[in-house]
Amino acid sequence: MLAPQPLDPTAELRPAPVRDDPDAQDLPLWRRVLEVPLVRRLAILAVLASLWQAYAMFKGNALILPSFLDVADAFFTALGDGRIPAAVATSLQVLVIGYALGVAAALVLTTLAITTRLGRDLLATLTAMFNPLPAVALLPLAFLWFGLGQPSLIFVIIHSVLWPVALSTLTGFTTVGETMRMAAVNVDLRGPRLVVLVLIPAAFPQILSGLRIGWAFAWRTLIAAELVFGVTSSSGGLGWFIFENRNRLETDLVFAGLVTVILIGLVVDAILFRLIERATVQKWGMQR
Amino acid sequence: MQGAERMAAPAVHPAETLLDVRNVTLTYRTGRQIVTAVRGLDLGVAQGERLVVIGPSGCGKSSLLKAVGGFIRPTAGTILLEDRKVERPGPDRMMVFQEFDQLLPWKTVLGNVVFPLVASRRFPRAAAKEQALRVLTLVGLEKFMHAFPHTLSGGMKQRVAIARALAMEPRLLLMDEPFAALDALNRRRMQDEVLRLWQELHFTLLFITHSIEEAILLGSRIVVMSPHPGRIIADISHDGSPSPALTRRLHHLLTEGGEDARATAS
Repeated sequence: MLAPQPLDPTAELRPAPVRDDPDAQDLPLWRRVLEVPLVRRLAILAVLASLWQAYAMFKGNALILPSFLDVADAFFTALGDGRIPAAVATSLQVLVIGYALGVAAALVLTTLAITTRLGRDLLATLTAMFNPLPAVALLPLAFLWFGLGQPSLIFVIIHSVLWPVALSTLTGFTTVGETMRMAAVNVDLRGPRLVVLVLIPAAFPQILSGLRIGWAFAWRTLIAAELVFGVTSSSGGLGWFIFENRNRLETDLVFAGLVTVILIGLVVDAILFRLIERATVQKWGMQR
Repeated sequence: MQGAERMAAPAVHPAETLLDVRNVTLTYRTGRQIVTAVRGLDLGVAQGERLVVIGPSGCGKSSLLKAVGGFIRPTAGTILLEDRKVERPGPDRMMVFQEFDQLLPWKTVLGNVVFPLVASRRFPRAAAKEQALRVLTLVGLEKFMHAFPHTLSGGMKQRVAIARALAMEPRLLLMDEPFAALDALNRRRMQDEVLRLWQELHFTLLFITHSIEEAILLGSRIVVMSPHPGRIIADISHDGSPSPALTRRLHHLLTEGGEDARATAS
């Protein structure tokens, strides 16, 4: 009888690596620098800032349009003396609570939706009804129910996060392949363990894009809510910072507040979510 | 000619019946119709047997495998595994599918093999890792244990799926055309691999295919099914050596034989 010999799996057919062309020449330095997207974008920003600065100096009315340098100065002053950090901390605290509760609620609803038909109908009806409803429109009701303060803001943030996240999570769950499902059921995975151990990671590309959309909605909703209803607790958030400085006619600080809103949005979306994406769905080859 | 360089697959002496499919009828719904995939089928599989079920598409061979796996319930009849009725999927019957997405893309090769061991609560984590490493070494993938599935070739992915199934030490290994999506060369390598693993472990195999060549190569017994509704038209014991006569016979059964049998049955 033949002794079993392991076959070498690496011997399977693979394309030969492409060799470097020895005649290839390097591009000149300035062309290579322009190949970096960040450089190109920063260049555009610099041009826009100069135009802004020139126009503001030409107008000479800091009340209507403070110059770029005025705004930069106000931004760093307010950053240094703690006004902006305090406002950011207040806003983010509310946001994180609302976001977490919204995501948790979305998870519960979608788990119900994939395990029971009633749950599926319930989720479909609720998302169809509430997804088109802007969260800010619920603010008057929220204040009526929960009073002026954090709970009202959290309520509208939950509303803004819950439906988009639930919708994309459900899409993710339903697109998990039949084979993967059967392979999981084959080893006795059922119910919540199936959801946590297989369905959530398998649906992670869709869940992540839902979380991203939910984050964008929540951030916009929060700033708008703070703007519309001003101070909602002892210390105001970023929206309140903008609102208050407009009342004081400190337009450069209004701009500084707007810049902060943009920067935080950018950091979370372009850095935080990008990092999560790279560490998960890209690493797993589920998304290019 | 090719047979000389291939391993001879030893024949299996009849042993006790491990799987007993009794008068099983399988139906499924397509829209408003109820289609009979398999009607009144009887089949016994002995311990250590490599039973290959071959038939044209639509003959119900995949439905039969899914029913044995517990994924679909027979509308009539019973399926017994070691005298216990099969009611649902379970880790005593591990499935290897044709599709590559049976592996979990977020887990490494090692993680994929460990996962069912732990998830089914059959092994504590440390023992599971040991078991997984042993089986991965057996299929020659120990060097790739930290790789993610999307970096592997199709053949290697199927190798991981087989390792994962074998690590569970199932009573019965179920394979549903596992190599159909591979190119010809890798398919041959994987078929040899299955025979080599069988020589080492002597598992009981229920293998579905539509390829005559694959059936002759892998089966210690070949069951031929015919469609509309699915039933068995031939049950052939086989010593594993390629024979032109057997090829001709299977070819005949799969083309004209099926038609004849259907004519007499209706």
